[in-house]
Amino acid sequence: MQNAHPLEPKWLKPLLLGTTLLFLAIFLALPLGVVFSEALAKGWKVYWASISEPDAIAAIKLTLLVVLVTVPLNTVFGVATAWLIAKFEFRGKGLLITLIDLPFAVSPVIAGLIFVLLFGSQGWFGAWLSSHDIRIVFATPGIILATLFITSPFVAREIIPLMQEQGTDEEESALTLGASGWQTFWKVTLPNIKWGLLYGVILSNARVMGEFGAVAVVSGHIRGMTTTMPLHVEILYGEYLFTAAFAVASLLTLLALVTLVLKSFIEWRIGKKRSLAH
Amino acid sequence: MSIQISHINKRFDNFTALDNINLTIPDGELVALLGPSGSGKTTLLRIIAGLEEADSGTIYFNGEDTTATHVRDRGVGFVFQHYALFRHMSVFENVAFGLRVRPKETRPSEEEIKERVHRLLQLIQLDWIANRYPSQLSGGQRQRVALARALAVEPKVLLLDEPFGALDAKVRQELRQWLRSLHDEIHITSVFVTHDQEEALEVSDKIVVMNQGKIEQIGTPEEVYDRPANPFVYSFLGNVNLFHARVEQGSLHLENTELNTPDLGSSKEASLFVRPHEINISIDNVLGGGIEAKLIGWRLVGPRVRVELETLHAHQRVEAEISKVEWQTIKAHENDTLFVHFSNARIYTNEASWNDYVI
Amino acid sequence: MKWHFRKPSVLPGFGLTLGFSLTYVTLLVLIPLGGLLLYTTKLSWSEFGAVISDPRVVASFKLSFGASLIAAVINLVFGLIVAWTLARYDFFGKKIVDALVDLPFALPTAVAGIALAAIFASNGWIGSLLEPFGIQIAYSRAGVVVALVFIGLPFVVRTVQPVIEEFEKEFEEASTSLGASWWQTFSRVILPSLMPALLTGFALSFARALGEYGSIIFISSNMPFVSEIVPLIIVTKLSQFDYVGATAVGTVMLLATFVILFLINAIQIYSREKSL
Repeated sequence: MQNAHPLEPKWLKPLLLGTTLLFLAIFLALPLGVVFSEALAKGWKVYWASISEPDAIAAIKLTLLVVLVTVPLNTVFGVATAWLIAKFEFRGKGLLITLIDLPFAVSPVIAGLIFVLLFGSQGWFGAWLSSHDIRIVFATPGIILATLFITSPFVAREIIPLMQEQGTDEEESALTLGASGWQTFWKVTLPNIKWGLLYGVILSNARVMGEFGAVAVVSGHIRGMTTTMPLHVEILYGEYLFTAAFAVASLLTLLALVTLVLKSFIEWRIGKKRSLAH
Repeated sequence: MSIQISHINKRFDNFTALDNINLTIPDGELVALLGPSGSGKTTLLRIIAGLEEADSGTIYFNGEDTTATHVRDRGVGFVFQHYALFRHMSVFENVAFGLRVRPKETRPSEEEIKERVHRLLQLIQLDWIANRYPSQLSGGQRQRVALARALAVEPKVLLLDEPFGALDAKVRQELRQWLRSLHDEIHITSVFVTHDQEEALEVSDKIVVMNQGKIEQIGTPEEVYDRPANPFVYSFLGNVNLFHARVEQGSLHLENTELNTPDLGSSKEASLFVRPHEINISIDNVLGGGIEAKLIGWRLVGPRVRVELETLHAHQRVEAEISKVEWQTIKAHENDTLFVHFSNARIYTNEASWNDYVI
Repeated sequence: MKWHFRKPSVLPGFGLTLGFSLTYVTLLVLIPLGGLLLYTTKLSWSEFGAVISDPRVVASFKLSFGASLIAAVINLVFGLIVAWTLARYDFFGKKIVDALVDLPFALPTAVAGIALAAIFASNGWIGSLLEPFGIQIAYSRAGVVVALVFIGLPFVVRTVQPVIEEFEKEFEEASTSLGASWWQTFSRVILPSLMPALLTGFALSFARALGEYGSIIFISSNMPFVSEIVPLIIVTKLSQFDYVGATAVGTVMLLATFVILFLINAIQIYSREKSL
């Protein structure tokens, strides 16, 4: 077999390949392995019991609820914003893009903090909320808001460059042929971005389900009521119920693996590599 | 320095890139490796440079076997089709690169490097852009810098891979002439790869015509153009019209006419090759032997006229190149039957032998 | 004709999408962040200073910045190696390895935290190997660095990988034909062209590490003055209803984030100008 890089010294490839595999084995393969080995350490029965006991189920339900609310909202936001940015030129566009990207760079704890400052009992709206007996912080709405904040850029970041690449030619031809705005969007734009959109939704979903820091701040950790799955893991771990903690964690890990598989599939489909970390 | 290539073979999986190549390039000559894509010319160039390894065979530089020498020690200057100038370095830094990476023992001093680089930049007439970056240069300027960079290390041999392929037509023309005059000045053994036969004909001392991994012909531009060794070379260099005919003991049966030829045997299929400028068109077949044809189209190309005809008998397309004066006569009879004559042609029979046919 | 706000276009939906986007961004991003900044103004400078200079807070700043920096450097070196390997070499199982590099990004931080804690604890798979040497990773500052390396792993790799993949081999060939050794080619020709991507990946990795919370608290002993990170201090202050303290610390973190973002943008602009 021909050497693909004949100019490199012969010892370079084995050295780098070995280092890479060792490094990744320690930091990637081992964590994956340990989750499942700890989760199943006491057998299937205990595993099953851990994920089916009422608090765990409540956590799963809450996590799914948050997903069902935030992912569609962020998807609509992402698509609308992508349309705005990719199809039009206007002043202040750069600023808008920066604002959209902002939550991506902000620490999750800060994300929780800002909502506590707004809606917490001592926050800006705290007095008004408690007099109307509305709870945002330490309740589900707070969790949803914090998660919305953190994950709002995901879909947008995926499809904005995609739509910018595709330009406006196809939409303009559709209009010349008599299509309305909505028709153009559904029949011309949407099919073109479907894989990128799916990609963004999958990413968004994984992040929503796994969000910890922001939710930890905002939720108050009220067991059975305001714990999402990651928080539930924390609680179990804090009570030294390691096996149970890893059992719930294994569900989240399976989700992560499915996310990676779907990502690879979509990349194969669109024939181009995308990065989750860009 | 002379280069000798001996029994070089190279395969890529199932594809034979080079098949038993034998070639000698004398010292100081500017040689073109000419051929279509896939002919193996670039592969051969890279093997000479040491960027690829042949499966078998030997390369000699001045009689010394360099087959096992690493490319960095071969002393070749290589110029890439897309220049490969280092983007983050200025023009000066690019040209100085080869001198700067020398081990301490052989590295020239800073002043010497400066002096050498500026001398080279003057040679390529680009001394005034020494501090610019590649992204600020035009294609032609970049190619000249790439050449200067390769020359800076005083190579024994200059190798150029389709050096003008990425440039506009006009810039290509200018750089061609410039390369020729540069070579006349410094007489360094040079080999360049091209698929452009005009370029090879204009610039080189010798042309090596290659096709599908084999050498078809080696010769000077005149030899290769006027006395092509086989149909491939004939049609690759310059335009050609191809007619199918039969030979019958001293006469060639072609379309509606018979032409006298040397005795080539009888009842044989033959092919007749004629260049567009070797075709004459008459309106009255006064000299006889003309092929009947009608005019299909024409266009002005600079000072000449390209005329397209179709023969009445076999409906074959013929492209002819005539002067404007001749065209005036033809044009007046554009709807009449015209007659095609050859002032020169080559006949090729199945026995793979070439014959001149001269009227 | 010079357009003042918006370039005319036949495509519909500008008003609708602009309105929606602005509303969404204002409600979700601007107002909350504005709330934080506004809250900061409630503090007098002396209050602010008192919170920031409190020894426990200072210790946490040192730890967060220090550990993030170390982790980012480790990710810089190993990220380059991994990116190089994935971009240039073929090997059995490469596709799987390539996909797994994104695991830290797809995996919830809490899961990462407990998994790493389990591995590096003194009875864990790796922790037990290191214990005889007296090296303790979990429940110490080293644990914090380990978790941050995990979190930041994909950033350098994914930013640098495409640049290496697109790097044309002609540059290597040109450099070598001019007489350079492999190391000279790498350091003078290849590395400079990777610099923008490396720096960007480093900055992203660093920014991510600074704000990280979930994976750290499981592997760190979280002891004040020793192994307490800044996000944890914020959480602690909030749970004590010390909004003032939490805000002050949070503002510093936010400022650091903005500075890093600004630097990343500057790197991008600089490299684009040099069209690297």
